[in-house]
Amino acid sequence: MKTLKASGVGAAINRVEGRLKVMGMAKYASEFPVENIVYAQGINSTIAKGEIISVDTSEAEKLDGVLAVITHKNSEKLKTFEEEMPELTTTSKAPVLQSPKVRYYGEFIGVVIAETFEQAQYAARLVKFEYKKDPEPTILFDESRSKAYKPKSHTDYLRGDMAAGLAEADETLDHTYSTPIEHHHPMELHAVIASWENAKVTAYASQQIVEDSIIAISDTFQIPKKDVRVISAYVGGGFGSKLNTERHVILAVMASKMLKRPVQMTVTRQQMFTNTGMRQHNEQRMQIGAKKDGSLTALSHDTLSHTSTYQEYQEPCGMMSKMLYKVPNNEIKYSLIPMNFQTPFAMRAPGEATGSFALESAMDEMAWKLKMDPVDFRIKNDTQIDLGAGKPFSSRLLTECLRIGADKFGWENRPKEPRAKQEGNWLIGYGMSAASRNAPYQETSAKVILELEDDKVYATIQMDATDIGTGSYTIIAQTASEYLGIPVEQVTVELGDSNFPITPGSGGSWGAASYCNGARAACESAIGKLKENKNISQDEDIVVAELLKQNQLNKFEAEGTAAPSEEFEKHSVFSFGANFSEVWVDKDTGMYRIKRMVSVGSAGKIINPKTAYGQMIGGLTMGAGMVLAEQTRIEPNFGNFITRSFADYHVPVNLDMANIDVIFLPEEDKIANKMGIKGIGELGITSVAASLANAIFNATGKRMRELPITPEKLIVAPLEPGVTA
Amino acid sequence: MIDLMKEDVERPDELIEVASLDYKNITSNEKGGLTLGAMLNNSNTANHPEVRTKYPLLSMAMLSAASVQLRNMATNGGNLLQRTRCPYFFETSMPCNKREPGTGCGALNGMNALHAIFGWSEKCVAVNPSDMCVALAAIGATVEVLQADGSPRMIEFTDFHRLPGEQPEKDTNLMPGELITAIHLPEPVFSDHYYYLKIRERASYAFALVSVAAGLQIQDGVITKAGLALGSVAHKPWKLTEVENYLEGKIPNPANFEAAAGLALKDARPLEDNKYKVEMGEKAIVRALTQAYERNA
Repeated sequence: MKTLKASGVGAAINRVEGRLKVMGMAKYASEFPVENIVYAQGINSTIAKGEIISVDTSEAEKLDGVLAVITHKNSEKLKTFEEEMPELTTTSKAPVLQSPKVRYYGEFIGVVIAETFEQAQYAARLVKFEYKKDPEPTILFDESRSKAYKPKSHTDYLRGDMAAGLAEADETLDHTYSTPIEHHHPMELHAVIASWENAKVTAYASQQIVEDSIIAISDTFQIPKKDVRVISAYVGGGFGSKLNTERHVILAVMASKMLKRPVQMTVTRQQMFTNTGMRQHNEQRMQIGAKKDGSLTALSHDTLSHTSTYQEYQEPCGMMSKMLYKVPNNEIKYSLIPMNFQTPFAMRAPGEATGSFALESAMDEMAWKLKMDPVDFRIKNDTQIDLGAGKPFSSRLLTECLRIGADKFGWENRPKEPRAKQEGNWLIGYGMSAASRNAPYQETSAKVILELEDDKVYATIQMDATDIGTGSYTIIAQTASEYLGIPVEQVTVELGDSNFPITPGSGGSWGAASYCNGARAACESAIGKLKENKNISQDEDIVVAELLKQNQLNKFEAEGTAAPSEEFEKHSVFSFGANFSEVWVDKDTGMYRIKRMVSVGSAGKIINPKTAYGQMIGGLTMGAGMVLAEQTRIEPNFGNFITRSFADYHVPVNLDMANIDVIFLPEEDKIANKMGIKGIGELGITSVAASLANAIFNATGKRMRELPITPEKLIVAPLEPGVTA
Repeated sequence: MIDLMKEDVERPDELIEVASLDYKNITSNEKGGLTLGAMLNNSNTANHPEVRTKYPLLSMAMLSAASVQLRNMATNGGNLLQRTRCPYFFETSMPCNKREPGTGCGALNGMNALHAIFGWSEKCVAVNPSDMCVALAAIGATVEVLQADGSPRMIEFTDFHRLPGEQPEKDTNLMPGELITAIHLPEPVFSDHYYYLKIRERASYAFALVSVAAGLQIQDGVITKAGLALGSVAHKPWKLTEVENYLEGKIPNPANFEAAAGLALKDARPLEDNKYKVEMGEKAIVRALTQAYERNA
C-alpha cells in the first residue's frame, strides 16, 4: 500500500474545512437556510424553588409577529421520568414544561415563537409569571451538608485497609481541596432548527453525539428513532455541554410540531448558565500516607458535590486516585447533595480536571513533607498495573513524560524551598504534576464511496461523527488518504448526519481513535471486497485505481466497522502526561503571571501534530482558566448565578498564556486499537491546575486549596506552617 | 447604551446620536494644559502624542481599559458616563435601586465581593468601573458641558460623579439636556513620576478589583505635589485629597508611602465579601507611589 506522506497519518496539514469556515460557508446549527422559519426565545424562571400559580401571556400574544406562547399550561404532554433521581446520561430524555413546579432559578418555563428573532425576544419579556415561592430552597452548599446521599451512579471503592495504611506511614496528610462551579461556554451558542414533515422531525442541532440525540428526542416524544433525523455538520465547541440533548432542542421540536413551521431556537449566552450544563462544585478530601523513601502506603479521595433535585450526576473526581499510583490501600468515596440548581454534567475531563487538582496538589504537599523532589516522588510510585481495575496498562510512559518534561523545562533549576527565589517585586516558583486520561475506544462504522475519474480515485467518507472544533474532518480525511493511498485533496468527508453510519460521537476523548479506525475499516473493507471480487490476493500490493479498473467499475462503495479487541478489554488503556509551570507572583498585590508552561503527552499515534497541538494548547488554557479566574458564583439569597455573562466569567486571555509549549512523546500502543490512537482532548487540561497551584506554593509558600486562585484570595492567604518568610 | 438596551436595563424612548458631533479635537487650553474633545475616541486620545508626553498617567490608565476594539469605539464623554457593572444592576430580575428605585440593593446582603468600601449607602454599594476617571481624579480636571439653553457650564471633576446616598439612580450631577463637550486638564505636573496600577484577575480585558492612579511632582528630593485616586472602591473615583496633602512636602520613601496608604484606607467600610480590598488598596497605593517615584528617579 503506497502512502502519501504529505497528507496521510502523521502529517501536520491544515484543517480540510478551514477555507469553508473562513468563508462563512460551514453551516452551524442555526445557519441552515430553512424555508418558512420562525424564531423561539426561551423564558426562564426567576425563583429557585416553588410553583407557578398563574401565567399571563396576553401582552405577549398581542404583539406583532407573535405566533404562540407555550408554557406548562398548553405544552405537549411528554414522557417524564418514572424513577426518583434518574442518572443524567448522553441519551437521557429531557422533558420540559410538563409541570408548574419550578426546580431552579433560570429553568425554562416557557417559550415564545414569533416571525422574527427580535419579536420573540421582546415578547418573552412580556409574559408574566406569578409564583408561590418556596421560602427555603436548597441553594447554600455549606448549610446543606446534612442532605447528602450516596449516588447510584458511583459506588465507593476500597482496596486494602486505609487505617492500617496510614498507621504504617512515616508521614501523613489530610487536606480538603475545592473546585468551583464552572461552565463550558463553547463559542457557539447552543442552537437548533427543528422542522416536521410527514410525522418525521429533522433537527439541525449543535450536538456532540448525533445518535444519542436521536434516542433522547425519540424517547421524550415517544416516537420511533427512524422518524428522527439530527444533523450536526459543524459544531462550534462543546466541551461536554453538547453531549446530551438539552431542553431547547425539545422546545423547538415541540413548537415546530404545534405551529407546523420550522422553529429556530438559540440559547443566549446568559441562558447558557442555567440550561446547557455545568461542572459542579466539588469538595475533595485527600488523605495520603507515605514512607520516608517516598513509597505510598495509603491514598483516599472523598468527594462531596451537588446535583439537582430531580436528576443525578456525579463527577468522578476520584478516578485518577484509584489508578495513577502504586498504593496498596486506597479508598474512593462519593456523596451528593440535591440542590435547587440545574443538573451538572460532564465538562472537559470530568473527574480528571477537578480530581487531579486535589490529587496532584496533595502529592506535592506530601513531596514537600518528605523533602523529596516532586518528580522523583511520582516516579517512585509509578506502576504498570492499574490497581483500581486489576488490569495491566496497555502502554504507560508516565516516567518518560516526567523525565523529558523535567529536562526540557529545566526542572533542576527549581527553587528548592518556597520563597527562595525573588526578582524585584516578583516571587518565582516552579510546579509540576502528573496526568492521566482514560482513552476509551468504541465501535464505529463508516462508509466509503470510491469514484474513478481520469485515473484518479476520489473518496467520500461518511459517518455520523461530529467535528466539534477538534479536527475530526481532517484526521478522518488523512486516514482515508493513508489507507487508500490517495492525496487528502481527493478525499471528501461528510459528517454529522444521522443518516450516516453510526459512531459514538465526539466526547470522552474517544473521537479520534474511534473515527479514524472506523474510516480505516471502511477503506479496508472496500479494498478487501474489490480484491476478493477478482480473486486478487489480500496481500497483493495494488493501487486502488488499478483495483477499480480491474473490477471494471467507476464507482464502488463499502461499509466497515471497527471495534475494540479482546486485548483492549483485558487492559487499562490511558494516555499519560506531565505538566511543568513557572509562575511569577507579585509579592504584594496578589497578582501573578504564568511565565511559561511545558506539557508532555504520550497519547499513542498522533494523526495530525498541528490539530493535536491545538487541542493540547486549548486544554492547557482551560486548565489555566481553572486557576486564574473561572468560577460561577451563586447568589446567596435568590439562588441564581450572579456570574451571568462573559463580562463576569473570566476565561484566560492571550496575554495570560504567552509562553506555553507542548511535546508529544511518540508511543506505540497496538492494544489501544489498530491505529494506536489514544485521545488527547482531555489529557491537556488534566493536572494543569495542580502544576500552577504547586508553582504558586513554591513561589509564595502559600498553599491554595480552593480554586480559582484569584488576587482577592492570594493577597490575604497565610503562609503554610513550616514556611519561613 | 446598546449593551444595556440589549439586557433590557435601559429602555430609552428616543435615542440621539451625538458621537459624530465635532467635539473631537485635542487642543491647548489657557491654563497651560490640554483640552480633550468629548467625542474623540479613547484610543486616539490615549495614543495622542501630547497626551502621552504630558499626561502619561491618563494614557496608561486609558490603555489598561477593556480591549482595543472597545477603546476604538468608546468616546471620552462616554467613558465618563459608563455605568456600573454590578451584576444586580444588569440582571432585571434582581433588586437594584439604581435600575429601579425602591426595589432594594441586592448586593448589600448578597454577593458584594466586587463592590464599594467607601461612600456606600444602604441603597447602593456599586462601584464606578472606569479607569480613565481614576486618572482624571488624580490629575484633576474640569468637565465642560453644553446646557439646554446653549450656554456652557463647568463641573469640577470631583463633583461630576455622585455618591449613591438616597438616589443611586443618579450616577452624575449632569442635568437633563446637558451634553459633555470637553474635558479640561490642568497644567501637567505628573509627566515624570506616574503609575496606574490595575489589580485584576487576568492579564487583560477585565475590570479592576482595585486600581490606583498615582502622580508625583518631585523637586530637590521632596514631593511638591501629589495626585492620588483609588478605583473600583466607590460609586465615584475615590480622590485621596487628605493623602495628597499628607504627601506634599514629604520625602518619597517607603515609610511615608506606607503611612499614606494607611491614611487612605483607615476609614474604609468593607462589606461581607470585599474585606480583601482594604489590604489590596493599601498595598496597591504603596506600590503605585513607589513605581511612580522610581520611574525617572
